Amino acid sequence: MRRAPFVLLLLSAATAALAQPGSQRPATSPPPTASAAAGRCGVCHPSERVQFERSTHAQEEVRCVSCHGGDDRSLAQAVAHGAGFIGRPRRDDVPRLCSSCHSDEGKMRAYNLPVDQYALYQTSGHGRRLAKGDMQVAVCSDCHGAHDILPRSDPASRVFPLNIPRTCGRCHGGNASAAGRRGKPDDHREYLSSVHAHELFDRGNPRAPTCVSCHGVHGAAPPTVGDVDKVCGHCHTAERRYFTAGPHREGMIAAGLPECVSCHGHHDTSATQPQRLASLCATCHGGKSKQVTLGAKMWTEYQAAATQIEQAAALIERADAVPIQTDDYRARLEEARTYLREALPAAHAVHEETVTGLTTRARSVGAEVASEIYGNLGHLQSRKLVLVVFWFYVLLTVVVLRRFQSRAARKD
Amino acid sequence: MSDAPRVGGTPGGGDASGGGAGPGPRGDWVAWLERRLNLTETFSFLTHFGLVWTPVDTSRPVREVVREVASQPVPAYARWPRVLGLLAAILFGLEVVTGVLLAYYYRPTPEAAFESTRTIVRDLPFGWFIHQLHGWGAWLLVIVVAARLLRLFWDGLYRAPREVLWWSAVAMAWLVLQSDFTGRLLTWDSRSYWAAVRGMEVVFALPVVGPLLAFLLGGRVINDDVLIRFYALHMLVLPAGFAFFLYLTFATLRRVGLSPEAPMHRGAATTLRDHLYSMLILSVLLFGVLTTLAVLAPFRFQAAADPYSTPTGVRPPWYMLAPYAVIENGPGPSWLLGLLLLAVAFAVLLLPLWAPRAAGGRVLGRMRLWGLFALAAWTALSVLGAFMERR
Repeated sequence: MRRAPFVLLLLSAATAALAQPGSQRPATSPPPTASAAAGRCGVCHPSERVQFERSTHAQEEVRCVSCHGGDDRSLAQAVAHGAGFIGRPRRDDVPRLCSSCHSDEGKMRAYNLPVDQYALYQTSGHGRRLAKGDMQVAVCSDCHGAHDILPRSDPASRVFPLNIPRTCGRCHGGNASAAGRRGKPDDHREYLSSVHAHELFDRGNPRAPTCVSCHGVHGAAPPTVGDVDKVCGHCHTAERRYFTAGPHREGMIAAGLPECVSCHGHHDTSATQPQRLASLCATCHGGKSKQVTLGAKMWTEYQAAATQIEQAAALIERADAVPIQTDDYRARLEEARTYLREALPAAHAVHEETVTGLTTRARSVGAEVASEIYGNLGHLQSRKLVLVVFWFYVLLTVVVLRRFQSRAARKD
Repeated sequence: MSDAPRVGGTPGGGDASGGGAGPGPRGDWVAWLERRLNLTETFSFLTHFGLVWTPVDTSRPVREVVREVASQPVPAYARWPRVLGLLAAILFGLEVVTGVLLAYYYRPTPEAAFESTRTIVRDLPFGWFIHQLHGWGAWLLVIVVAARLLRLFWDGLYRAPREVLWWSAVAMAWLVLQSDFTGRLLTWDSRSYWAAVRGMEVVFALPVVGPLLAFLLGGRVINDDVLIRFYALHMLVLPAGFAFFLYLTFATLRRVGLSPEAPMHRGAATTLRDHLYSMLILSVLLFGVLTTLAVLAPFRFQAAADPYSTPTGVRPPWYMLAPYAVIENGPGPSWLLGLLLLAVAFAVLLLPLWAPRAAGGRVLGRMRLWGLFALAAWTALSVLGAFMERR
């Protein structure tokens, strides 16, 4: 409440300035209110102060001493770094230090922030290794920053969705110097080549999955065999539904093969490639096995339906140029496309009738539309036949008129 | 002539039989009507459009006058090369009729223009036919009017005393091209929209005329203001202008005759009755040709116009390709090139004032040579405009 008179002073100065347009404005702009939170620490630690003043903590009256201890009212080092001084917290102390506020429901309620981060962290890969004394794993400040912590919604924040791959990639990328990471794949680079990264960065979809969407946030840990399909199924619900109905899930878990990623790639998940149905099965099943035949059959069925739909779409374009009423055809072709789109998730059941049931429906709707448009276009051909009859009457009229004309000429 | 006295009895007499008896035997309705209005005077209106060549005595009964006029000799318009003017008149009539039918359903706003055109072409019975007739009729009209201009030039018919004939021919050609240009935009599909954008770039590059047109047409951006102005021009102003010059042409012809090279005694003369039959036959054949074109070579229907996406290969209409090539790729600033184009246009219009007056064969031959040269240059520029890339 020490700031109240100051604010009042500011307000009155502002009103005075507004009331008298000719009057001189205050020579210096008022100092940022955040400087109060930095106390006098910034006199000796100016760069930390600058970073801290931009952070969300400074705005919420968290002070240097809240984390570092000591006395921020004194400029004498002996006093300032005196009683209760923590200094730079040890890495394995950081999570506990942050949780002293962030696990306090009383303090967090006003911000509508969760208070389970510390508990979650302790269950994460990071937290468990830290507990074992591995000081290289990520603690709160590695992802959130130390002095310049920003809310997740701020695009400058390290934990803004678009920045998360880079933040995780600092350790889980090719440049990571951590001893435990040597020889491991460059997860960051792999992710950047994936369809998820394309969706996130190139198409600007903020709901596209980043690292934390699959691995968890504070409780980050790689999904285990048997959990992978649950993680992917969070978004790919239809795929998971068909996948769990099919034989693959049980078999793969029994064989210790991770679901989904065994076929689709790990971090470098590619976009849908239905043509892989024809070749992918052979990587696990034998080259001449009935599973490979089934995969090839599903691909052939899919391809035939897709071709039929494309043909019908081209016919609709042709009909529009005439033009013929095509709204109904467009609606029905959209229905066919929906069946065809459903056939791709359905392929995860690796069950022939499930897929062909959909592709056959897509194909028959496409064929129906195509044949009806052909019928209408053929109807146009009949205009050309009518033209013959038309010319007969035109010439007949001309002949009759010529006779009238010559009769009139004789009269004259 | 046996029944002439009966019909031509008393045009203004007002006898008792007209009062309550009404039309009696067949044919008497003319007499009935004639007692109430001067049919001959109404008939004399036709003399303004070249169908009647002699002055008409409006005090005489109409049947008598018609019978007399019908057997009078007239130039044989329905024969080459005079048929071009007649074709232009018939095609203009066809454009008016089909245009009125299209106007019943067309709505000149950017939101509704394309949709209403599609409704006409797709959903209305014979809408496609009317639309194609209108389109192919316009196409033929442009050809006919241009050919007529070439023919008048070739035969030297711009010389005294036929200057007005030449001026009205140039004006008619100009009006037809304007009608075609404004009409193209009305469908508001991607081709027509972007053809109009490119065409307007050419027009706006002309000094003085460009800014004036920009003001009259509601700005340099093709939007709803321009669309409704194009619509008003297309269906009111330009047809009215064309009708006026049609009248002016026939009014001139009655005074100066069409061409001295084809005197009437060489089988080129006929009677009015005969001529009317020829005209009817010509109309029927023309209708047949247009119907054939509409069925065998219909104009394709394009997607709706999108001001934010330019399709590839956008060009102005074919008759604007030559000026387009000059303005877009010519050497020098565009206002100077525009000035040059304007000068050429005025030189063509004012041809009767600067062309040699002498009627000798050698002078005419030299003019024809210049004309051929100009036509070749125009064609070459058009080809250039059709294939060049924009700067």
